[in-house]
Formats: sequence, structure tokens, C-alpha cells
Amino acid sequence: MSAQVMMNPAMAETPSEKQKRPKKSLWSGGIVTRALLDSVRKLNPRTLMKNPVMFVVEVGAVITTVDLIRYIAQHLPGLGFALQITLWLWFTVLFANFAEAMAEGRGKAQADTLRKARAETMARRMMADGSHETVPGSKLRTGELVVVRAGEFIPGDGEVVVGVASVDESAITGESAPVIRESGGDRSAVTGGTRVLSDEITVRITSNPGETFLDRMIKLVEGAERQKTPNEIALNILLAGLTIIFLLAVLTLQPMAIYSGAPQSVFVLISLLVCLIPTTIGGLLSAIGIAGMDRVVQRNVLAMSGRAVEAAGDVDTLLLDKTGTITLGNRRATEFVAAPGVSEQELADAAQLASLADETPEGRSVVVLPRKDTDCADASFRRRAPRSFPFRRRRG
Amino acid sequence: MTANGWLQIGLFLVVILAVTKPLGVYMANVFSGGRTLFDPLLRPIERLLYFATGVDEAHEMRWTEYAVSMLLFSGVSMIVLYAIERLQQWLPWNPEKLAAMAPDLAWNTAASFTTNTNWQSYTPESTMSYFTQMAGLAYHNFISAAVGIALAVAVIRGLARREKETIGNFWVDMTRAILWVLLPTCTVVALFFVSQGAVQNLKPYVTAKLLDPQTVQVTGADGKTSTQRVTEQRIAQGPVASQEAIKMYGTNGGGFFNANSAHPYENPTPLTDFLQVILIFAIPAGLTYTLGRMTGSQRHGWAVWCAMAALFVAGVVSAYTAESRGNPLLTQAGVDQHVSATQPGGNMEGKEMRFGIAQSSLFATVTTDASCGAVNSMHDSYTPLGGMIPMINMMLGEVVFGGVGAGLYGMIVMVILSVFIAGLMVGRTPEYLGKKIDAYEVKMAMLTVLVFSLIILSFTAVAVVTAPGKAAITNPGPHGLAQILYAYTSGAANNGSGFAGGNWNSVWYNVTIGFDMLFGRFFMVLPVLAIAGSLARKKNVPESAGTFPVTTPLFAGLLVSVTLIVSALTFFPALSLGPILEHLLMHAGKVF
Repeated sequence: MSAQVMMNPAMAETPSEKQKRPKKSLWSGGIVTRALLDSVRKLNPRTLMKNPVMFVVEVGAVITTVDLIRYIAQHLPGLGFALQITLWLWFTVLFANFAEAMAEGRGKAQADTLRKARAETMARRMMADGSHETVPGSKLRTGELVVVRAGEFIPGDGEVVVGVASVDESAITGESAPVIRESGGDRSAVTGGTRVLSDEITVRITSNPGETFLDRMIKLVEGAERQKTPNEIALNILLAGLTIIFLLAVLTLQPMAIYSGAPQSVFVLISLLVCLIPTTIGGLLSAIGIAGMDRVVQRNVLAMSGRAVEAAGDVDTLLLDKTGTITLGNRRATEFVAAPGVSEQELADAAQLASLADETPEGRSVVVLPRKDTDCADASFRRRAPRSFPFRRRRG
Repeated sequence: MTANGWLQIGLFLVVILAVTKPLGVYMANVFSGGRTLFDPLLRPIERLLYFATGVDEAHEMRWTEYAVSMLLFSGVSMIVLYAIERLQQWLPWNPEKLAAMAPDLAWNTAASFTTNTNWQSYTPESTMSYFTQMAGLAYHNFISAAVGIALAVAVIRGLARREKETIGNFWVDMTRAILWVLLPTCTVVALFFVSQGAVQNLKPYVTAKLLDPQTVQVTGADGKTSTQRVTEQRIAQGPVASQEAIKMYGTNGGGFFNANSAHPYENPTPLTDFLQVILIFAIPAGLTYTLGRMTGSQRHGWAVWCAMAALFVAGVVSAYTAESRGNPLLTQAGVDQHVSATQPGGNMEGKEMRFGIAQSSLFATVTTDASCGAVNSMHDSYTPLGGMIPMINMMLGEVVFGGVGAGLYGMIVMVILSVFIAGLMVGRTPEYLGKKIDAYEVKMAMLTVLVFSLIILSFTAVAVVTAPGKAAITNPGPHGLAQILYAYTSGAANNGSGFAGGNWNSVWYNVTIGFDMLFGRFFMVLPVLAIAGSLARKKNVPESAGTFPVTTPLFAGLLVSVTLIVSALTFFPALSLGPILEHLLMHAGKVF
């Protein structure tokens, strides 16, 4: 099962960092207020049309409201019942909208963090006279030139026009080894949010605000570009089918009721319809979909499509060829496995001694590893006060 | 309710259980190229038929070609039947010199027999010549049943095949269904019926002198009533036994006589009655085993069988209980309705003394569970709740064993909906026998459910508020609504039994029920074939821990509830104004 998932650059962090950051509560005031506003905004029929079940409820609510006005105008009996049904119907629609808005809320909060991170990235924009000016990364427009030095984040998607640099793109691609980006040729494209490790380059920005790679990711987190999952589509067909069937059952009930000499009011028919159609699941379906997205986001995984979330549910083994963001970005020794006849201590000592002068991340990790368990190797190492020789062929 | 009654019902279920496997294995062999006992006899006939008609038996069809062949064949057969009905006065074997049928009645009957419904707006003994009965109706009894079996087999192939475009050859499936499945049994059963007293001749009707002459009131053409003394009776004859066998075995249900299986010539003894109910369920039950065998999941076949059996038992127990209780108003009036040595007890109105409550309730349940529609008692005269059971059985979509073939493919639609819902409940991608269930299958499955309720409810709603629709009602109030609802349900479900009280032979009902039956058959079949075609194309998904098993009691239970919920919720509002209201009013002392 292959899941199309990506690491979220702004959240690529070690577990310890993650624990430090306070978890965003679903019920924090901002999210609830925004959800309340959204639930009213979502009453727009064009938005609601995407959800056939709730759309039917809304149409029902509009019809009862119109009839309610007639009741009030003509002082008809049974006003209390009519009012109650109308209120319940509106409440049903609003609650479904609220649930969806709440589910989107956390995604929106995440997106806000991302956006903030983006806005905080400062760019050195090159002026026409060759001088530099510091502006927020989110203000950059197509065609502008920025200078990025070693250790700085590239502020936006663009193309290297001057210079060569090694760039850490692990946040976007997952590849741990830095890549070379240079002007000219097919290795000139750089992505916003990646970090220059060495040297200095001048980048011509190729995307406007709102269109960058990062922006697209933000939209995904927000749920604005959420695609429906295959199962969701199939379920929607089922729900729409059931809704039509029950609509039919209620529509045909009236002639039969007339035959029986007991015609029913609009309020009774519509409330029967709403009871029959699958409002609960229909109202919460999109909320469920968004919650699925949110679940994987909490685990620092960005699902690029609804299909991916569904596939993620079926994943039992994950194979990775990129180690950059899943681990620290470096290969590390984690355990000594001694061959038969060799004690673990001996192995640790030997390995440590052999790696002392090794400056690679692997070598350093071998030196560090035994210290966690015991300081014996370290102690014996100090007593001996060794001198290291570079590995070099002897001349003569 | 008596111990004897329960024993008969129990024995029936045991016999059905016993025939399921042998018949299922036999049909699996017939349709997947296995060897069978009848090969030496039937194979040459089959080859000759293909040679004469130019059928290439090795040719495999995609679902579209299969569907077009089936539609063309049914269409042409329907036109032929219409022609026979309209021309019968010039055709042979018409000793009673019966005239041509009216166009609307001929249309209704042609649609009825083409769709395996056998709704009869006519009185056979005074309308149909022997030739029409044999060449027209009996022919359709065979081919509409064979078409049903062929479709079921095509759907099973769709489930069994992997990454194939085709689902078999319609002509071969249908021919083999007639020659191997239907003909051998029908031949034996017809002879057995003759031995029990069913008639089989081409003689003119017989006149008998009444032992006990009656005086009746007759309303003449001028509207005046006069008394008439009846001293003799015309007894209809005909080739009954041969038609009786296929009427039951092919779940057709169209009686040779108006009284159907309540007529002594059609159903002479309690033994033939028992055999008739067995015949109705035999093929549909056997096909569940064929499903298991051809898809390689025998336990799934049994799970489907169990779900069907559970729904059947629920129906028969309710009907038997309701009918045994009798009419509370009669009890209040001091009538003894208890079982005793001299009376069967319960509600005996409209039931044969030869069969009693148990066999009548069993027959009514079986005939409406399967889309047979033969009756040995008048459903119109049942208690409100007892009469609601046959109606609900039909509203389930004829999936409780169901019509030959139609029951199985109808149930597979329910299975697809069940695994889809179950898959979502456990949070996995829904799979059915190694095939992923996608939006397309769900769409097609919903289409069949939608069409079914659409035609029943719309026709009923229009009929109850229009003058020609209300003209047929013989009982006012909720019972009248029940009569109309029953008629359209029976047509759409391709059952053909009736709440016999209504006057259905009118232009309005002949035309609308004609369409009702055609839509109910062919608009259901096309989406089902589309599902078969789509499933056949799919790759096999290996079973994993997340697959919802379709072999467990849990699955059978889920299947039962999905079947019930889908139909019960749809039709409950209509039922509540019909039989349920009638039941409540009866207890309040009002009858219709």
C-alpha cells in the first residue's frame, strides 16, 4: 500500500521539541468563535449543495419557514408546533455546519502557524541599484531577486541566477543529503522553506504570494482543497440514493393520506422526511473526512489527498528511501551486536577507538554510543592518552 | 397454532436445506462446463439447437452484449405472445371458441408473462384457449425462468472472474437452464401431479349436474335483478398438470384456472401442495450453493442461505400466528375460533378446507418470498397483519430465496450494500469476495433500490387519488389502499399474486401494471448486469485482516438488517396507512 504522504516542513522536529510545544485544544476560544461564524456562512446553498442530505434539510427548513410566516400572518392554529419544527430544522443544518467548521478549525489553526512561519522568514530583496532591503518572505513577487546566504531559509520558490550552493531540501523532499543548486541548467530550481547550507546564491522568485509550494500545503491543511476520498464518494452516492428514496416515500405519502381522509401539513411531512433521511451521517461526513486529515497532521504527516488518508488506514508496513526528516537526518549507530566469542565491552572499546578520528556523523555516533551505557571505555581511553594518526600510505 | 402445523413448516425448511446442495452442485456443473447425468441425452439436442439458430457456444459476451441479447429475446417473445392472444380465435385447440383478448388485457398479460410475474387480470378458463395457454404462456413460463437463471449465473461469473471483460454467453446459459435445469424436473413433476388427480387433456369443458341446486340473484344487462335456479356447473378442463409443474418450479405462479393452486385440478392433494411449495424454493435455494461453489467460497453461499432462511422464518411465523388468532370481532360475537376436531380454527375466510391455516400461511409466505405468486388461499381475506406479511415479503425486493435467479441477483445487490456499509464501519476499504466495492457498484446497487420503490410508490400514489385508479377498489378505507399497494408491489416485484378483491381488468390497471412489471424486471436487471461486468474486470484483492468476512453469522445478521432497513423504512409510511391502520381499526371494532 503506497500512501502519498509528505512531511510538513514547518513541523519537522524532533520528538523532544514536539513535547515542549503546547497542544492546540479543539475547544480553544478562537476555533469555536470562527466555527460559529462559519456555520452561518456555510448556509449558502451553493456550498451546501455539495452535501445532498443537508441540502435537502435546508430546503425543508426554508419551506417550513415560508409556511410559518403564512401561519403567523393568517393566525392559523398549531403555530407552536410549526415554530418548533422550523427551529429544529434550522438547528440541524447549523449543527452539521458547526461540526464541519470545528473539524476544519484545527486545520486552520495549523495553517495559521505555517503562515506565520512563512511571514517570519525574512528575505534580502535586491534593489535596482544593487543594494539590499529586508522584507517578509510573503511579500515577494514574481521576477524579484533575493540574496540568500549560508544558514538562511530560501524565502520563496524560484530559480538560482547567480552562484552555487548546497541546499538542505530534506523538509520538502525528504532527502537527507544536501543537494547542489546552481545557476543555469536543470538544477537551478529552489523551493521556499529549504535551507542554504553553504555559499551564497541570488534567486529570482518565480511565484506570487499564495501560489508557492508552501501555500499549496497550507491550503491542504486548511481543507480548502480537500478532495473526497473514494469511499466518501461511494458513501455520498448511497446517502443521496437513500435521500431520494425517502423523499419519494414522503411525497407519495400525501396522496395516500388524502385518500385516507387525513392530509398532513407541510411541517409533519418535512419533519418525517428529515427523520427518515440519513441526516446524522450526512451531516457529519465531511467533518469525519477532515478529522481524518487532521489525525495524520497531528502525527506530522501531510496527506496530499483524501485517497491517501484512506490508504493510510490500511498501511501496516512503511518503506522509506528518504531518511532526512524521519530521523535526525544522519545515520547513527544505535546498538553494538557482538560476534560470538567477543564480549560487548570489548566490541564497544574497539569500535570507539577505531572511530575516534572519524569526523563523519556515523563515526561520531559510534564514539558517543557507549557513553550512554557505561563510561568504562571512556575511562580506559583517558588512561591510555592515545595519539591519533591519520590514515595515510607511508612513503619510502 | 398446532404442533402439526409447526411440524409441516419445520419439515418444509428441512427439505429445502436438503435439496440446496445437490441442486446447487448440479447447476454449478451445468453452467461451468462440468459433466452431468443428462449430458448423453441433452447434449445432442443442445448442439442441434445451436446449429439451427447459428449460436456460437464458445463466444463470450461482455455485459452489454449479454444485456442486449436478453432484452431483444424478451422483447420478441413478448410480441409473439401478444400476437397469439390477439389471434387465438383463428388458432387451433380452442374448443370453447374463446374470442381474441382485448388489446389492453393482451398487453398486460404479455408483459406479465415475459417478466416472470404472471399477474393475471383475466380469468383463464373463460379467456385463454388451450393453444394460448400452451404455446404462449407455458413457453414464457420456461423462458422467463431460464432468463432469470441465466442472469444469476452471469452475475456469479462476474464475482468469480478476475480481470476478464466477459460474463458468459446468454444464449448458452438460457438454453442450458431450460434443457438441464427446468425440463427434467418438470417432466417428472407433471407426471406426479397427474397421478395425484391433476387433469391433462385438450377436451371441451364438462357439464355436471349439481347434487344440491342453488337459487341465485342475477343482475341483468338492463339493471334488473331476477332470481335464477342453477342446476348444472361447467367444469373447465385442459393441459393443467404440465403447466402446473413449470408454474411452480420456475416461480411463475400463473394459474391455469382463476382459483390458481386453490383449484382441485391444479393442486389436488395436501401432498401436491407440499411439493408445490418445495418446488418454488428449490432453484432459488440451490443457486445460493451454486454461488458458493462457483466463487470458491462455499461458506459465503451458506451465509446468504441463512440470511434468506431467517427472513423466511420470520415471515411464516408472523403469518401463521396472525391467521391462527382469527378475527377478534368474531370472538367477541361468541364464535369459537379455536382448533378442534371439527374445525381448523383461526381465520379460515378465503382458505381451502383441504389445506388449513398452516399450509395456507406457509404457501402465502413462500409464494411471496419467492416471486412465484401462485396462491392456494386468497391473500385479500387474510387478517390485516397476516396479509401484510406477503406484502412486506414482496417489498423486500423478492430476495428471500426470491424468484429463480432474480432472488439471488437481488440479494447480491443487498450483499454489496451490506459489505460497503460494514467496510465503512470497520474503517476499511469494502471488499466482496476479493473485489473492491467502488462508487460505481454502489451507484448501480442504489439504482435498483431506487427504481423499485419509485415505481411502486408513484403508481400507488397516483392511483389512490384518481378516479380510474379508485374504481378498482372493492373495499373502502385502508383495505382499499392495501389492495392497490399490493397490486403495484406485486407487479414491480414480479410476483403476480394479488389481493384478489380488486377489479383489476380495466384499461388503467392493465396499462399501468404492465409498465410496473416491465420496469420492475428490466430496470433492475440492467444495473445488476453492469455490476457483474464491472466486478469481472476487477483485480483480485488478497484477503487481509481488514477484510470484512462474508462467511460469518455476523455477516448474515447484517445482511438481514440491511435488507429489512432499506425496504422497511421506504414502505413503512405507506403500510401504516394500509394494513397497520386496518389492524388498529379492526381492534376498535371497524372492518372493511
